Amino acid sequence: MGYETLSFEESDGIATITLNRGGHNRISMRMVRDLTAVCNHLEDHSDAKVVAFRGSGGTFSEGMDFEDFDPKVPLDIHGFNKWEKCCTRLERLPKATVALVDGPAVGGGFQIALACDLRIATSRASFQLPETHLGFLPGMATFRLAKYVGLGHAKRIMLTAEVVDSGTAATLGIVDRIDNDLDAGLAWAVEALGPNHSVAVELTRRLLNESFHTAYENAIGHFLAAQHRAISQTAFLDTLKKERGD
Amino acid sequence: MLDTRPRLLSVGTAHPPEGYSQEDLVARYDVPDPRIRSLFKSAHIMNRYLYLPEANEDGVPDESQGELLEKHRRGAMEIGPQAVKRCLDPMEMGVEDIDYLCCITTTGFMAPGLTAHLIKEMGFREDCARVDIVGMGCNAGLNGLNPVVNWAMANPGKNALMVCMEVCSAAYVFDGTMRTAIVNSLFGDGSAAVLVRTDPKDDKRFAGKVLGFNSQIIPPAIGAMRYEWDGEQSKFSFFLDRDIPYVVGANAEKPVDRLLEAHGLKRRDISHWIVHSGGKKVIDAIKYNVGITEHDVRHTTSVLRDFGNLSSGSFLFSYQRLMDEGVVRRGDYGVLMTMGPGSTIETALVRW
Repeated sequence: MGYETLSFEESDGIATITLNRGGHNRISMRMVRDLTAVCNHLEDHSDAKVVAFRGSGGTFSEGMDFEDFDPKVPLDIHGFNKWEKCCTRLERLPKATVALVDGPAVGGGFQIALACDLRIATSRASFQLPETHLGFLPGMATFRLAKYVGLGHAKRIMLTAEVVDSGTAATLGIVDRIDNDLDAGLAWAVEALGPNHSVAVELTRRLLNESFHTAYENAIGHFLAAQHRAISQTAFLDTLKKERGD
Repeated sequence: MLDTRPRLLSVGTAHPPEGYSQEDLVARYDVPDPRIRSLFKSAHIMNRYLYLPEANEDGVPDESQGELLEKHRRGAMEIGPQAVKRCLDPMEMGVEDIDYLCCITTTGFMAPGLTAHLIKEMGFREDCARVDIVGMGCNAGLNGLNPVVNWAMANPGKNALMVCMEVCSAAYVFDGTMRTAIVNSLFGDGSAAVLVRTDPKDDKRFAGKVLGFNSQIIPPAIGAMRYEWDGEQSKFSFFLDRDIPYVVGANAEKPVDRLLEAHGLKRRDISHWIVHSGGKKVIDAIKYNVGITEHDVRHTTSVLRDFGNLSSGSFLFSYQRLMDEGVVRRGDYGVLMTMGPGSTIETALVRW
Protein backbone atom coordinates (compact mmCIF):
# COMPACT_ATOMS: atom_id res chain seq x y z
CA MET A 1 0.00 0.00 0.00
CA GLY A 2 2.91 2.32 0.62
CA TYR A 3 1.77 3.82 3.92
CA GLU A 4 4.77 5.29 5.76
CA THR A 5 3.18 6.29 9.02
CA LEU A 6 0.65 3.57 9.67
CA SER A 7 0.03 -0.07 9.04
CA PHE A 8 -3.15 -1.38 7.52
CA GLU A 9 -4.57 -4.84 7.63
CA GLU A 10 -7.90 -6.30 6.79
CA SER A 11 -9.38 -9.66 7.70
CA ASP A 12 -12.76 -11.16 8.61
CA GLY A 13 -14.59 -7.96 7.75
CA ILE A 14 -12.44 -5.83 10.03
CA ALA A 15 -9.96 -3.26 8.77
CA THR A 16 -7.36 -2.19 11.31
CA ILE A 17 -5.33 0.98 10.96
CA THR A 18 -2.42 1.20 13.38
CA LEU A 19 -0.74 4.57 13.72
CA ASN A 20 2.88 3.58 13.59
CA ARG A 21 5.39 6.35 13.57
CA GLY A 22 8.43 6.90 15.78
CA GLY A 23 8.02 9.72 18.28
CA HIS A 24 4.74 8.53 19.77
CA ASN A 25 2.72 8.43 16.56
CA ARG A 26 2.68 12.17 16.23
CA ILE A 27 0.57 13.41 13.34
CA SER A 28 2.61 14.69 10.41
CA MET A 29 1.33 15.82 7.02
CA ARG A 30 2.55 12.47 5.74
CA MET A 31 0.25 10.76 8.25
CA VAL A 32 -2.63 12.98 7.12
CA ARG A 33 -1.95 11.88 3.54
CA ASP A 34 -1.72 8.23 4.60
CA LEU A 35 -4.98 8.44 6.54
CA THR A 36 -6.67 10.07 3.57
CA ALA A 37 -5.36 7.33 1.29
CA VAL A 38 -6.70 4.72 3.72
CA CYS A 39 -10.12 6.41 3.52
CA ASN A 40 -9.96 6.21 -0.29
CA HIS A 41 -9.11 2.52 -0.08
CA LEU A 42 -11.86 1.81 2.46
CA GLU A 43 -14.45 3.63 0.36
CA ASP A 44 -13.46 2.15 -2.98
CA HIS A 45 -12.13 -1.34 -2.47
CA SER A 46 -12.88 -2.68 0.98
CA ASP A 47 -15.57 -5.10 2.11
CA ALA A 48 -14.77 -4.48 5.76
CA LYS A 49 -17.78 -3.62 7.90
CA VAL A 50 -15.81 -2.33 10.88
CA VAL A 51 -12.76 -0.08 10.86
CA ALA A 52 -10.55 0.00 13.96
CA PHE A 53 -7.96 2.67 14.77
CA ARG A 54 -5.08 1.84 17.10
CA GLY A 55 -1.68 3.21 18.07
CA SER A 56 1.58 1.29 18.19
CA GLY A 57 4.04 1.19 21.06
CA GLY A 58 1.69 1.94 23.95
CA THR A 59 0.61 5.36 22.64
CA PHE A 60 -2.47 6.15 20.58
CA SER A 61 -1.01 9.45 19.36
CA GLU A 62 0.73 12.35 21.07
CA GLY A 63 -0.87 14.82 18.64
CA MET A 64 0.52 17.16 16.05
CA ASP A 65 4.15 16.85 15.03
CA PHE A 66 5.72 20.30 15.43
CA GLU A 67 8.85 19.07 13.63
CA ASP A 68 6.71 19.01 10.52
CA PHE A 69 6.67 22.83 10.30
CA ASP A 70 9.44 23.99 7.99
CA PRO A 71 11.05 27.06 9.60
CA LYS A 72 11.88 28.41 6.13
CA VAL A 73 8.23 28.42 5.04
CA PRO A 74 5.76 31.06 6.26
CA LEU A 75 3.01 29.59 8.44
CA ASP A 76 -0.35 29.13 6.82
CA ILE A 77 -3.63 27.41 7.56
CA HIS A 78 -3.70 24.90 4.68
CA GLY A 79 -2.20 21.98 6.58
CA PHE A 80 -4.78 22.43 9.33
CA ASN A 81 -7.49 22.42 6.67
CA LYS A 82 -6.18 19.14 5.21
CA TRP A 83 -6.13 17.59 8.66
CA GLU A 84 -9.71 18.62 9.45
CA LYS A 85 -10.86 17.31 6.07
CA CYS A 86 -9.16 14.03 6.92
CA CYS A 87 -11.03 13.85 10.27
CA THR A 88 -14.31 14.50 8.45
CA ARG A 89 -13.51 11.71 5.99
CA LEU A 90 -12.88 9.33 8.93
CA GLU A 91 -16.09 10.47 10.58
CA ARG A 92 -18.15 9.83 7.44
CA LEU A 93 -16.69 6.48 6.37
CA PRO A 94 -19.39 4.13 5.08
CA LYS A 95 -18.44 1.64 7.82
CA ALA A 96 -18.71 1.55 11.58
CA THR A 97 -15.54 2.93 13.18
CA VAL A 98 -13.97 2.06 16.52
CA ALA A 99 -11.05 3.77 18.26
CA LEU A 100 -9.00 1.36 20.40
CA VAL A 101 -7.03 3.62 22.71
CA ASP A 102 -4.06 2.55 24.78
CA GLY A 103 -1.81 5.21 26.32
CA PRO A 104 -2.17 8.91 25.54
CA ALA A 105 -4.54 10.25 22.90
CA VAL A 106 -3.46 13.87 22.67
CA GLY A 107 -4.68 16.68 20.39
CA GLY A 108 -5.31 15.23 16.96
CA GLY A 109 -5.12 11.74 18.46
CA PHE A 110 -8.05 12.61 20.71
CA GLN A 111 -9.84 14.00 17.67
CA ILE A 112 -9.45 10.76 15.70
CA ALA A 113 -11.12 9.01 18.64
CA LEU A 114 -13.95 11.57 18.67
CA ALA A 115 -14.49 11.08 14.93
CA CYS A 116 -15.10 7.35 15.50
CA ASP A 117 -18.46 5.78 16.29
CA LEU A 118 -17.20 3.93 19.39
CA ARG A 119 -14.21 4.35 21.72
CA ILE A 120 -12.73 1.50 23.70
CA ALA A 121 -9.85 2.28 26.05
CA THR A 122 -7.47 0.49 28.35
CA SER A 123 -7.02 1.70 31.92
CA ARG A 124 -3.69 3.15 30.73
CA ALA A 125 -5.43 5.37 28.20
CA SER A 126 -5.71 9.12 28.66
CA PHE A 127 -7.17 11.98 26.67
CA GLN A 128 -5.87 15.52 26.48
CA LEU A 129 -6.28 18.67 24.41
CA PRO A 130 -3.29 20.83 25.42
CA GLU A 131 -3.44 23.17 22.43
CA THR A 132 -4.68 26.34 24.15
CA HIS A 133 -1.72 26.09 26.56
CA LEU A 134 0.55 25.99 23.54
CA GLY A 135 -1.03 29.03 21.93
CA PHE A 136 -3.23 27.47 19.26
CA LEU A 137 -6.57 25.75 19.02
CA PRO A 138 -7.61 22.13 19.54
CA GLY A 139 -8.91 21.80 15.99
CA MET A 140 -12.51 20.89 15.36
CA ALA A 141 -12.53 19.09 18.68
CA THR A 142 -13.99 22.51 19.55
CA PHE A 143 -16.98 21.38 17.47
CA ARG A 144 -17.09 17.71 18.45
CA LEU A 145 -16.19 17.37 22.12
CA ALA A 146 -19.05 19.36 23.68
CA LYS A 147 -21.52 17.09 21.91
CA TYR A 148 -20.11 14.15 23.87
CA VAL A 149 -19.55 15.76 27.25
CA GLY A 150 -21.54 19.03 27.36
CA LEU A 151 -20.21 22.56 27.19
CA GLY A 152 -18.94 22.80 30.77
CA HIS A 153 -16.74 19.71 30.66
CA ALA A 154 -15.53 20.63 27.16
CA LYS A 155 -14.46 24.12 28.31
CA ARG A 156 -12.60 22.70 31.30
CA ILE A 157 -10.88 19.98 29.27
CA MET A 158 -9.74 22.43 26.58
CA LEU A 159 -8.85 25.44 28.72
CA THR A 160 -7.09 23.58 31.55
CA ALA A 161 -5.42 21.00 29.27
CA GLU A 162 -6.55 18.43 31.85
CA VAL A 163 -5.35 14.88 31.31
CA VAL A 164 -8.56 12.86 31.36
CA ASP A 165 -7.92 9.31 32.53
CA SER A 166 -9.89 6.49 30.99
CA GLY A 167 -12.19 6.05 34.02
CA THR A 168 -13.17 9.71 33.94
CA ALA A 169 -13.47 9.58 30.16
CA ALA A 170 -15.92 6.69 30.53
CA THR A 171 -17.95 8.63 33.12
CA LEU A 172 -18.06 11.68 30.83
CA GLY A 173 -19.25 9.61 27.85
CA ILE A 174 -16.05 9.88 25.84
CA VAL A 175 -15.16 6.22 26.31
CA ASP A 176 -17.79 3.54 25.74
CA ARG A 177 -15.96 0.62 27.33
CA ILE A 178 -12.80 -0.02 29.27
CA ASP A 179 -10.97 -3.21 28.42
CA ASN A 180 -7.27 -3.85 28.94
CA ASP A 181 -7.42 -6.40 26.17
CA LEU A 182 -8.18 -4.26 23.13
CA ASP A 183 -8.54 -7.30 20.86
CA ALA A 184 -11.30 -8.50 23.18
CA GLY A 185 -12.70 -4.96 23.20
CA LEU A 186 -12.82 -4.92 19.42
CA ALA A 187 -14.50 -8.35 19.38
CA TRP A 188 -17.12 -6.95 21.78
CA ALA A 189 -17.69 -3.94 19.47
CA VAL A 190 -18.05 -6.09 16.36
CA GLU A 191 -20.56 -8.28 18.18
CA ALA A 192 -22.40 -5.30 19.66
CA LEU A 193 -22.67 -3.54 16.30
CA GLY A 194 -24.63 -6.57 15.15
CA PRO A 195 -25.53 -6.83 11.48
CA ASN A 196 -24.10 -3.34 11.01
CA HIS A 197 -26.01 -2.27 7.86
CA SER A 198 -23.80 0.39 6.33
CA VAL A 199 -26.56 2.70 5.02
CA ALA A 200 -28.37 2.61 8.36
CA VAL A 201 -25.11 3.26 10.24
CA GLU A 202 -24.03 6.07 7.95
CA LEU A 203 -27.37 7.89 7.96
CA THR A 204 -28.05 7.46 11.69
CA ARG A 205 -24.60 8.78 12.47
CA ARG A 206 -25.07 11.71 10.08
CA LEU A 207 -28.42 12.71 11.61
CA LEU A 208 -26.90 12.48 15.11
CA ASN A 209 -23.89 14.57 14.12
CA GLU A 210 -26.21 17.18 12.62
CA SER A 211 -28.72 17.11 15.48
CA PHE A 212 -27.13 19.76 17.68
CA HIS A 213 -27.22 22.49 15.07
CA THR A 214 -30.34 21.67 13.07
CA ALA A 215 -33.79 23.07 13.79
CA TYR A 216 -36.43 20.40 14.31
CA GLU A 217 -38.39 21.65 11.29
CA ASN A 218 -35.36 20.96 9.10
CA ALA A 219 -34.28 17.80 10.93
CA ILE A 220 -37.62 16.08 10.35
CA GLY A 221 -37.23 16.61 6.60
CA HIS A 222 -33.68 15.26 6.75
CA PHE A 223 -34.90 12.25 8.72
CA LEU A 224 -37.67 11.46 6.21
CA ALA A 225 -35.25 11.69 3.28
CA ALA A 226 -32.77 9.46 5.11
CA GLN A 227 -35.45 6.99 6.26
CA HIS A 228 -36.69 6.65 2.68
CA ARG A 229 -33.18 5.79 1.60
CA ALA A 230 -32.87 3.21 4.39
CA ILE A 231 -36.18 1.46 3.69
CA SER A 232 -35.25 1.23 0.01
CA GLN A 233 -32.22 -0.93 0.85
CA THR A 234 -32.22 -4.72 0.80
CA ALA A 235 -31.43 -4.83 4.54
CA PHE A 236 -34.86 -3.44 5.44
CA LEU A 237 -36.66 -5.37 2.72
CA ASP A 238 -35.11 -8.58 4.11
CA THR A 239 -36.20 -7.59 7.61
CA LEU A 240 -39.76 -7.10 6.36
CA LYS A 241 -39.77 -10.52 4.69
CA LYS A 242 -38.43 -12.15 7.83
CA GLU A 243 -40.75 -10.36 10.25
CA ARG A 244 -43.81 -11.00 8.09
CA GLY A 245 -42.74 -14.60 7.45
CA ASP A 246 -42.93 -14.17 3.66
CA MET B 1 -9.17 16.09 -25.44
CA LEU B 2 -10.00 18.51 -22.63
CA ASP B 3 -9.17 21.52 -24.74
CA THR B 4 -11.99 20.84 -27.16
CA ARG B 5 -14.57 21.17 -24.41
CA PRO B 6 -16.59 24.38 -24.32
CA ARG B 7 -16.62 26.79 -21.42
CA LEU B 8 -19.45 28.46 -19.56
CA LEU B 9 -18.02 31.94 -20.05
CA SER B 10 -20.62 34.15 -18.44
CA VAL B 11 -23.99 33.93 -16.70
CA GLY B 12 -26.58 36.68 -16.45
CA THR B 13 -29.84 36.55 -14.53
CA ALA B 14 -32.97 38.69 -14.25
CA HIS B 15 -36.33 38.68 -12.50
CA PRO B 16 -39.53 40.74 -12.60
CA PRO B 17 -39.51 44.06 -10.73
CA GLU B 18 -42.01 43.11 -8.02
CA GLY B 19 -40.94 40.82 -5.17
CA TYR B 20 -43.36 39.25 -2.70
CA SER B 21 -42.96 37.51 0.62
CA GLN B 22 -45.22 34.53 1.25
CA GLU B 23 -47.18 36.68 3.73
CA ASP B 24 -47.68 39.33 1.01
CA LEU B 25 -49.34 36.72 -1.18
CA VAL B 26 -51.71 35.44 1.48
CA ALA B 27 -52.65 39.05 2.21
CA ARG B 28 -53.05 39.94 -1.47
CA TYR B 29 -55.67 37.32 -2.28
CA ASP B 30 -58.53 35.87 -0.30
CA VAL B 31 -57.27 32.52 1.01
CA PRO B 32 -59.86 31.12 3.42
CA ASP B 33 -58.43 27.59 3.75
CA PRO B 34 -56.08 27.49 6.77
CA ARG B 35 -54.20 24.52 5.30
CA ILE B 36 -53.34 26.61 2.26
CA ARG B 37 -52.44 29.62 4.41
CA SER B 38 -50.04 27.45 6.41
CA LEU B 39 -48.40 26.22 3.19
CA PHE B 40 -47.24 29.80 2.68
CA LYS B 41 -45.71 29.98 6.15
CA SER B 42 -42.77 27.62 5.70
CA ALA B 43 -39.50 29.45 6.04
CA HIS B 44 -37.55 27.99 3.14
CA ILE B 45 -38.95 30.57 0.70
CA MET B 46 -38.73 34.19 1.86
CA ASN B 47 -39.24 36.02 -1.40
CA ARG B 48 -40.33 35.47 -4.99
CA TYR B 49 -40.51 37.80 -7.98
CA LEU B 50 -43.78 37.38 -9.82
CA TYR B 51 -46.04 38.97 -12.39
CA LEU B 52 -49.26 39.12 -10.39
CA PRO B 53 -52.63 40.64 -11.27
CA GLU B 54 -54.77 42.57 -8.82
CA ALA B 55 -57.49 40.57 -7.08
CA ASN B 56 -60.96 40.72 -8.65
CA GLU B 57 -64.11 41.55 -6.64
CA ASP B 58 -64.05 38.02 -5.18
CA GLY B 59 -60.54 38.61 -3.86
CA VAL B 60 -58.80 36.23 -6.24
CA PRO B 61 -56.68 36.60 -9.38
CA ASP B 62 -58.81 36.13 -12.44
CA GLU B 63 -56.79 35.55 -15.60
CA SER B 64 -57.98 33.51 -18.57
CA GLN B 65 -55.63 31.02 -20.25
CA GLY B 66 -55.28 33.58 -23.05
CA GLU B 67 -54.24 36.27 -20.59
CA LEU B 68 -51.79 33.90 -18.91
CA LEU B 69 -50.18 33.08 -22.27
CA GLU B 70 -49.90 36.76 -23.08
CA LYS B 71 -48.37 37.38 -19.63
CA HIS B 72 -45.81 34.67 -20.36
CA ARG B 73 -44.82 36.27 -23.68
CA ARG B 74 -44.67 39.76 -22.22
CA GLY B 75 -42.82 38.68 -19.07
CA ALA B 76 -40.32 36.56 -20.99
CA MET B 77 -39.62 39.50 -23.28
CA GLU B 78 -38.93 41.69 -20.24
CA ILE B 79 -36.68 39.43 -18.16
CA GLY B 80 -35.10 37.45 -21.03
CA PRO B 81 -33.39 40.45 -22.68
CA GLN B 82 -32.18 41.68 -19.27
CA ALA B 83 -30.56 38.32 -18.53
CA VAL B 84 -28.97 38.26 -22.01
CA LYS B 85 -27.54 41.74 -21.55
CA ARG B 86 -26.18 40.93 -18.08
CA CYS B 87 -24.56 37.80 -19.54
CA LEU B 88 -22.95 39.53 -22.53
CA ASP B 89 -21.99 42.94 -21.04
CA PRO B 90 -19.14 41.62 -18.86
CA MET B 91 -17.74 39.90 -21.97
CA GLU B 92 -18.02 43.20 -23.88
CA MET B 93 -20.17 41.39 -26.37
CA GLY B 94 -23.52 42.15 -27.95
CA VAL B 95 -26.29 40.02 -29.40
CA GLU B 96 -24.79 40.55 -32.88
CA ASP B 97 -21.91 38.33 -31.74
CA ILE B 98 -24.19 35.36 -31.05
CA ASP B 99 -24.15 32.57 -33.63
CA TYR B 100 -26.48 30.07 -31.96
CA LEU B 101 -29.41 30.78 -29.67
CA CYS B 102 -31.26 28.26 -27.52
CA CYS B 103 -34.33 29.39 -25.59
CA ILE B 104 -35.96 27.29 -22.91
CA THR B 105 -39.40 27.63 -21.40
CA THR B 106 -42.10 25.45 -19.94
CA THR B 107 -44.48 28.10 -18.67
CA GLY B 108 -45.99 29.17 -22.00
CA PHE B 109 -46.35 28.07 -25.61
CA MET B 110 -46.15 30.07 -28.80
CA ALA B 111 -45.12 29.77 -32.43
CA PRO B 112 -42.81 31.13 -33.51
CA GLY B 113 -40.95 30.39 -30.32
CA LEU B 114 -39.10 32.61 -27.88
CA THR B 115 -35.90 32.53 -29.98
CA ALA B 116 -37.69 34.35 -32.82
CA HIS B 117 -39.17 36.89 -30.43
CA LEU B 118 -35.85 37.45 -28.65
CA ILE B 119 -34.02 37.89 -31.97
CA LYS B 120 -36.58 40.46 -33.14
CA GLU B 121 -36.67 42.25 -29.78
CA MET B 122 -32.90 42.48 -29.30
CA GLY B 123 -31.57 42.60 -32.86
CA PHE B 124 -29.58 39.38 -33.12
CA ARG B 125 -28.08 38.68 -36.56
CA GLU B 126 -30.42 37.23 -39.18
CA ASP B 127 -28.15 34.21 -39.63
CA CYS B 128 -28.27 33.30 -35.95
CA ALA B 129 -29.07 29.60 -35.72
CA ARG B 130 -31.67 28.75 -33.11
CA VAL B 131 -33.54 26.09 -31.21
CA ASP B 132 -36.45 26.27 -28.78
CA ILE B 133 -36.78 23.74 -25.99
CA VAL B 134 -40.34 23.85 -24.74
CA GLY B 135 -42.21 21.91 -22.11
CA MET B 136 -39.40 19.95 -20.48
CA GLY B 137 -39.77 21.51 -17.04
CA CYS B 138 -37.30 22.26 -14.26
CA ASN B 139 -34.66 19.90 -15.62
CA ALA B 140 -34.67 21.56 -19.06
CA GLY B 141 -31.66 23.80 -18.43
CA LEU B 142 -29.37 20.79 -18.65
CA ASN B 143 -31.37 19.16 -21.48
CA GLY B 144 -30.73 22.42 -23.32
CA LEU B 145 -27.12 22.82 -22.27
CA ASN B 146 -26.27 19.41 -23.75
CA PRO B 147 -27.01 20.36 -27.42
CA VAL B 148 -25.66 23.87 -26.84
CA VAL B 149 -22.37 22.41 -25.63
CA ASN B 150 -22.30 20.00 -28.56
CA TRP B 151 -22.97 22.84 -31.01
CA ALA B 152 -20.18 24.84 -29.42
CA MET B 153 -17.81 21.87 -29.73
CA ALA B 154 -18.71 21.43 -33.40
CA ASN B 155 -18.25 25.14 -34.07
CA PRO B 156 -15.07 26.27 -32.33
CA GLY B 157 -14.69 30.00 -31.91
CA LYS B 158 -18.43 30.61 -32.37
CA ASN B 159 -20.70 31.92 -29.62
CA ALA B 160 -23.67 29.96 -28.34
CA LEU B 161 -26.16 31.49 -25.95
CA MET B 162 -28.72 29.59 -23.89
CA VAL B 163 -31.53 31.55 -22.27
CA CYS B 164 -33.98 30.07 -19.77
CA MET B 165 -37.12 32.20 -19.53
CA GLU B 166 -39.72 31.08 -17.05
CA VAL B 167 -42.80 33.04 -16.09
CA CYS B 168 -44.16 30.54 -13.60
CA SER B 169 -46.84 33.05 -12.59
CA ALA B 170 -48.30 32.39 -16.05
CA ALA B 171 -48.87 28.79 -14.98
CA TYR B 172 -50.89 29.68 -11.90
CA VAL B 173 -54.35 28.30 -11.39
CA PHE B 174 -56.16 29.76 -8.40
CA ASP B 175 -58.91 27.26 -7.56
CA GLY B 176 -58.68 26.84 -3.80
CA THR B 177 -57.26 23.29 -3.97
CA MET B 178 -54.10 22.09 -2.26
CA ARG B 179 -52.88 20.87 -5.65
CA THR B 180 -52.65 24.36 -7.09
CA ALA B 181 -51.72 25.96 -3.77
CA ILE B 182 -48.54 23.85 -3.65
CA VAL B 183 -47.59 25.12 -7.10
CA ASN B 184 -48.59 28.70 -6.29
CA SER B 185 -46.49 28.71 -3.11
CA LEU B 186 -43.33 27.33 -4.73
CA PHE B 187 -42.53 28.75 -8.16
CA GLY B 188 -41.08 32.13 -9.06
CA ASP B 189 -40.37 34.02 -12.26
CA GLY B 190 -36.85 34.47 -13.57
CA SER B 191 -34.54 34.25 -16.52
CA ALA B 192 -30.93 33.13 -16.81
CA ALA B 193 -28.59 33.27 -19.78
CA VAL B 194 -25.27 31.49 -20.24
CA LEU B 195 -22.65 32.04 -22.91
CA VAL B 196 -20.92 28.90 -24.18
CA ARG B 197 -17.86 28.79 -26.46
CA THR B 198 -15.02 26.50 -27.44
CA ASP B 199 -11.94 28.58 -27.98
CA PRO B 200 -8.36 27.93 -26.86
CA LYS B 201 -8.06 31.71 -26.50
CA ASP B 202 -10.39 31.40 -23.50
CA ASP B 203 -7.89 29.20 -21.64
CA LYS B 204 -6.77 32.13 -19.53
CA ARG B 205 -10.31 32.95 -18.49
CA PHE B 206 -11.57 31.46 -15.25
CA ALA B 207 -14.61 29.63 -16.57
CA GLY B 208 -15.92 26.10 -16.12
CA LYS B 209 -15.48 23.61 -18.94
CA VAL B 210 -18.36 21.23 -19.52
CA LEU B 211 -16.88 17.72 -19.64
CA GLY B 212 -20.01 15.61 -20.03
CA PHE B 213 -23.61 14.84 -19.22
CA ASN B 214 -25.61 11.95 -17.84
CA SER B 215 -29.38 11.50 -17.74
CA GLN B 216 -31.75 9.41 -15.69
CA ILE B 217 -35.36 9.09 -16.71
CA ILE B 218 -37.76 7.25 -14.41
CA PRO B 219 -40.59 5.99 -16.66
CA PRO B 220 -42.81 4.58 -13.87
CA ALA B 221 -42.96 8.11 -12.42
CA ILE B 222 -44.12 9.72 -15.67
CA GLY B 223 -47.14 11.17 -13.91
CA ALA B 224 -45.38 12.52 -10.81
CA MET B 225 -44.89 16.02 -12.29
CA ARG B 226 -47.19 17.05 -15.12
CA TYR B 227 -48.58 20.14 -16.78
CA GLU B 228 -51.99 19.26 -18.14
CA TRP B 229 -55.30 20.73 -19.20
CA ASP B 230 -57.82 21.37 -16.43
CA GLY B 231 -61.18 21.39 -18.22
CA GLU B 232 -63.01 22.80 -15.23
CA GLN B 233 -60.75 25.82 -14.97
CA SER B 234 -60.07 25.95 -18.74
CA LYS B 235 -56.39 26.34 -17.95
CA PHE B 236 -53.21 24.37 -18.00
CA SER B 237 -52.48 23.27 -14.46
CA PHE B 238 -49.29 21.93 -12.94
CA PHE B 239 -49.41 18.88 -10.70
CA LEU B 240 -46.75 17.83 -8.23
CA ASP B 241 -47.07 14.39 -6.64
CA ARG B 242 -46.21 14.25 -2.93
CA ASP B 243 -43.80 11.38 -3.56
CA ILE B 244 -41.53 13.37 -5.92
CA PRO B 245 -38.76 13.87 -3.35
CA TYR B 246 -38.61 10.12 -2.76
CA VAL B 247 -38.75 9.19 -6.45
CA VAL B 248 -35.95 11.65 -7.15
CA GLY B 249 -33.98 10.62 -4.06
CA ALA B 250 -34.12 6.91 -4.85
CA ASN B 251 -32.69 7.52 -8.33
CA ALA B 252 -30.32 10.40 -7.67
CA GLU B 253 -27.17 8.34 -7.27
CA LYS B 254 -27.49 6.60 -10.62
CA PRO B 255 -26.73 9.45 -13.05
CA VAL B 256 -24.18 10.96 -10.66
CA ASP B 257 -22.25 7.70 -10.40
CA ARG B 258 -22.36 7.10 -14.17
CA LEU B 259 -21.28 10.67 -14.88
CA LEU B 260 -18.35 10.45 -12.48
CA GLU B 261 -17.32 6.93 -13.47
CA ALA B 262 -17.08 7.99 -17.12
CA HIS B 263 -14.43 10.47 -16.03
CA GLY B 264 -12.68 8.27 -13.48
CA LEU B 265 -13.93 10.38 -10.58
CA LYS B 266 -15.44 9.69 -7.17
CA ARG B 267 -17.96 11.83 -5.35
CA ARG B 268 -15.22 12.99 -2.99
CA ASP B 269 -13.44 14.54 -5.99
CA ILE B 270 -16.33 16.95 -6.52
CA SER B 271 -15.76 20.30 -4.83
CA HIS B 272 -18.97 22.02 -5.93
CA TRP B 273 -22.54 20.82 -6.32
CA ILE B 274 -25.03 22.96 -8.21
CA VAL B 275 -28.43 21.40 -7.59
CA HIS B 276 -31.74 22.70 -8.92
CA SER B 277 -33.71 24.55 -6.22
CA GLY B 278 -36.76 22.31 -6.63
CA GLY B 279 -38.10 22.62 -3.10
CA LYS B 280 -36.99 21.84 0.41
CA LYS B 281 -37.94 18.16 0.39
CA VAL B 282 -36.35 17.40 -2.95
CA ILE B 283 -33.14 19.15 -1.88
CA ASP B 284 -33.12 17.03 1.30
CA ALA B 285 -33.64 13.91 -0.81
CA ILE B 286 -30.60 14.77 -2.93
CA LYS B 287 -28.50 15.55 0.15
CA TYR B 288 -29.19 12.30 1.95
CA ASN B 289 -29.08 10.05 -1.10
CA VAL B 290 -26.05 11.49 -2.85
CA GLY B 291 -24.33 12.08 0.49
CA ILE B 292 -23.73 15.80 0.14
CA THR B 293 -24.00 18.38 2.88
CA GLU B 294 -25.99 21.48 3.72
CA HIS B 295 -22.86 23.43 2.80
CA ASP B 296 -22.71 21.74 -0.60
CA VAL B 297 -26.24 22.92 -1.39
CA ARG B 298 -25.90 26.39 0.18
CA HIS B 299 -26.55 28.19 -3.10
CA THR B 300 -29.39 25.82 -3.97
CA THR B 301 -31.14 26.66 -0.70
CA SER B 302 -30.35 30.38 -0.84
CA VAL B 303 -31.70 30.65 -4.40
CA LEU B 304 -34.85 28.82 -3.27
CA ARG B 305 -35.14 31.22 -0.32
CA ASP B 306 -34.69 34.37 -2.41
CA PHE B 307 -36.49 33.44 -5.64
CA GLY B 308 -38.54 30.26 -5.12
CA ASN B 309 -38.29 27.50 -7.73
CA LEU B 310 -37.35 29.25 -10.98
CA SER B 311 -37.74 26.10 -13.04
CA SER B 312 -35.22 25.67 -15.88
CA GLY B 313 -32.98 28.64 -15.07
CA SER B 314 -32.72 27.98 -11.36
CA PHE B 315 -29.40 26.11 -11.46
CA LEU B 316 -27.78 29.00 -13.33
CA PHE B 317 -28.75 31.37 -10.51
CA SER B 318 -26.90 29.00 -8.13
CA TYR B 319 -23.98 28.74 -10.57
CA GLN B 320 -23.73 32.53 -10.61
CA ARG B 321 -23.75 32.67 -6.79
CA LEU B 322 -20.99 30.06 -6.64
CA MET B 323 -18.84 32.04 -9.08
CA ASP B 324 -19.52 35.30 -7.19
CA GLU B 325 -18.50 33.64 -3.94
CA GLY B 326 -14.92 33.37 -5.18
CA VAL B 327 -14.12 29.98 -3.61
CA VAL B 328 -13.80 27.99 -6.84
CA ARG B 329 -10.22 27.19 -7.72
CA ARG B 330 -8.63 26.17 -10.98
CA GLY B 331 -8.82 22.39 -11.38
CA ASP B 332 -11.92 22.02 -9.17
CA TYR B 333 -14.70 19.75 -10.39
CA GLY B 334 -18.38 20.56 -10.10
CA VAL B 335 -21.57 18.61 -10.73
CA LEU B 336 -24.68 20.34 -12.05
CA MET B 337 -27.92 18.54 -11.30
CA THR B 338 -31.51 19.31 -12.30
CA MET B 339 -34.71 17.38 -11.67
CA GLY B 340 -38.13 17.60 -13.27
CA PRO B 341 -40.97 15.99 -15.19
CA GLY B 342 -40.36 12.65 -16.85
CA SER B 343 -39.57 12.05 -14.10
CA THR B 344 -36.01 13.01 -14.90
CA ILE B 345 -32.69 13.75 -13.26
CA GLU B 346 -30.11 15.45 -15.48
CA THR B 347 -26.45 15.88 -14.57
CA ALA B 348 -23.41 17.59 -16.04
CA LEU B 349 -19.75 17.61 -15.04
CA VAL B 350 -17.81 20.86 -15.05
CA ARG B 351 -14.14 21.55 -14.43
CA TRP B 352 -12.66 24.96 -13.81
